[in-house]
Amino acid sequence: MDLAFTPEEQQFRADIRAWVRENLPAEISHKVHNAMRLSRDDMQRWGKILGKKGWLGHAWPKAFGGPGWNSVQKHLFEEECALAGAPRVIPFGPIMVAPVIMAFGNAAQQQRFLPGIASGEVWWSQGYSEPGSGSDLASVKCRAERQGNKYIVNGQKAWTTLGQYGEWIFCLVRTSNEGKPQTGISFLLIDMKSPGVTVRPTVLLDGEAEVNEVFFDDVEVPVENLIGEENKGWTYAKHLLSHERTNIADVNRSKRELERLKRIAKLEGVYADTRFRDEIAKLEVDVVALEMLVLRVLAAEKSGKNSLDIAGLLKIRGSEIQQRYSELMMLAAGSFALPLIQEAMEAGWQGNFPGGGTWCAPLASTYFNFRKTTIYGGSNEVQRNIVAQTVLG
Amino acid sequence: MDFDFSDDQQQLRDAVRKWVDKGYTFERRRTAVKAGGFSLDAYRELADLGLCGLYVTEQYAGMGMGPIEGMVVMEELGRGMVLEPLNQSFIAGAVLSGYAPDALKSSWLPKIASGQALVVLAYQERAARYQLGICAATAVKAATEFTVTAVKSLVPAGDQADAFMVPATLDGKLALFLVERSAAGVSASGCGTQDGSRAAEVTLKNAPASLITLDGLAALEYAVDIGIAATCAEAVGVMDKTMTLTAEYMNMRKQFGVAISSFQALRHRAADMKMQLELARSMSYYASLKLNAPAPERRAAMARAKYQLGNSMRFVAQQSVQLHGGIGVTDEYIGSHYFKKLTQLEMTFGDSLHHLGEVSDRMQDTAGVFA
Repeated sequence: MDLAFTPEEQQFRADIRAWVRENLPAEISHKVHNAMRLSRDDMQRWGKILGKKGWLGHAWPKAFGGPGWNSVQKHLFEEECALAGAPRVIPFGPIMVAPVIMAFGNAAQQQRFLPGIASGEVWWSQGYSEPGSGSDLASVKCRAERQGNKYIVNGQKAWTTLGQYGEWIFCLVRTSNEGKPQTGISFLLIDMKSPGVTVRPTVLLDGEAEVNEVFFDDVEVPVENLIGEENKGWTYAKHLLSHERTNIADVNRSKRELERLKRIAKLEGVYADTRFRDEIAKLEVDVVALEMLVLRVLAAEKSGKNSLDIAGLLKIRGSEIQQRYSELMMLAAGSFALPLIQEAMEAGWQGNFPGGGTWCAPLASTYFNFRKTTIYGGSNEVQRNIVAQTVLG
Repeated sequence: MDFDFSDDQQQLRDAVRKWVDKGYTFERRRTAVKAGGFSLDAYRELADLGLCGLYVTEQYAGMGMGPIEGMVVMEELGRGMVLEPLNQSFIAGAVLSGYAPDALKSSWLPKIASGQALVVLAYQERAARYQLGICAATAVKAATEFTVTAVKSLVPAGDQADAFMVPATLDGKLALFLVERSAAGVSASGCGTQDGSRAAEVTLKNAPASLITLDGLAALEYAVDIGIAATCAEAVGVMDKTMTLTAEYMNMRKQFGVAISSFQALRHRAADMKMQLELARSMSYYASLKLNAPAPERRAAMARAKYQLGNSMRFVAQQSVQLHGGIGVTDEYIGSHYFKKLTQLEMTFGDSLHHLGEVSDRMQDTAGVFA
């Protein structure tokens, strides 16, 4: 048992750190460190920088052009990016759909789709949830009917994050109503420029349109866009979700945001107040404990051991911590977090923020937005069901 | 980075578990509790396994092991709620090895390792609460030796121990002394504690004492930190067993015609217990892995760990009783004894609020496992 990274791992970290420092545009990291609004260009610009280096698909195996890093190297890369203030990689392409295409797609699909994902050129979206299918994802109704060499897709997807930028979308569609709901689902890749696709933004409580409804109205999709076998999509979707766990816990970002919380608390004069500082101290212990849990999962993965019973905890704890720091940042600003001025979240805004503390501008907005973290990616209640299964059978 | 146990560590775990399961049954423990909360026979059996000399180097007939082995052993003792304070032999072994003059080492370490001598830390004073720097006990240099005057509370097995490690101020500075229980001016008044183990109020009146070190605060902090890491590990063992008991009971107990483990409200509590158990286990690893770090880093790590463990212990203990229903509050059922063990461990070597304060006072701009 040893907490230290090996000399090779430490060198790896130093190399990543140097590269990120050289290649991450300062105006982007400035926005990230201060929670200012990121444009589509900001997000894609960083994605393409990583893509050019071959690191956008940083978790990909070598066979598909990835660096072939092990779980610890992946973690170190993610940590260095997060601490440097890099935007989160938009996960839908490189982290979510790519592993499914690699595992279950055919050679033609791999050659067609993976390069655009690896380079960051093509923006992917996720078409899973529907108005009637949230936690009960297997109940999806969006229908794909085979007609000759194409599917005709009709239905609606919901909560599609950043779908307004999406060029392609991977969808769970119903291809059969026979048997159990899980056995009639297929995994389909759909060009969002196809006739009949309509994207409508959903404005959330923070005033932003981060998510969308996506409507499919007699959309024609060539059968070669079906991943694997018809009616086996549920299996593929589960494979995808298993790739999401440490990513969604995102302890690295929480470490960075804990530092920001301390800065804000100092600016607001509440860091010296033990009642407030103790709340930060509690969060600090939460973050360290989560990091230890993540390291245990990574170490197990590196040595090929099963860590399923603890990996299920990561999403619950990670999301709770994200909500808590956003809450404490807002409470640190107190009533000066009340003004909700959308423009003040833009970099370079020259207006006067009430009280003069421009750092207060995004705090409420982030707090509002982060209510999502315990809901998406399998609600925390669903996660508890999964954890309970490991304890009670 | 590696969280696996070596083959030797696994064998050590197996040996201790076997002794706990076969040699330290609930019935035997119950008898020991009734007899006062300390069994010398049981302590000697721990010594026979080599465990009392775990932190003592081979030069002094110990095993020369370290924090990870200590953690493994304490987890297993926790499973069986062992009353005898083995962690005190870790503390005495490590502190004497690290701080005492050679003469003291040669005369005490082999006896500690063999179990012939139980040496315990007598540091708590009524007015100091958990603050290690506050000390009313005083030491005076006599002709060649020292004498110590003190009242130390809640000394583990204090009326059974052979000697005490006692912090006392000497010329305005904290020093650490060794005082034998048989020495003149020493009296110990014992009582049972929450978990059935034993403690004593130890009074020293000009008792002859050997100086362990003039660097008393550093030695005391080290002693307490070993105690914290051991307590964290012990608590993980207790919680792990509590979790198992609770899951078994939920699958066995039927109400409304079905096992109560089928109810989602209860399943989610079990999931929350599992969360606390694994966060606690993670932070127990963290504590033991940081035990040999430089003092400031070590102290900060112990505070973080004990804060997490304290909260986890209370949560797991309370939920376990609740999920058991009526049977959970009976003395007859083993679960209530795990509850009391966890309650006591939260308040051992600093409770959760104390350690929250420590974390808060030590907070830096950056944080994390490696910060």
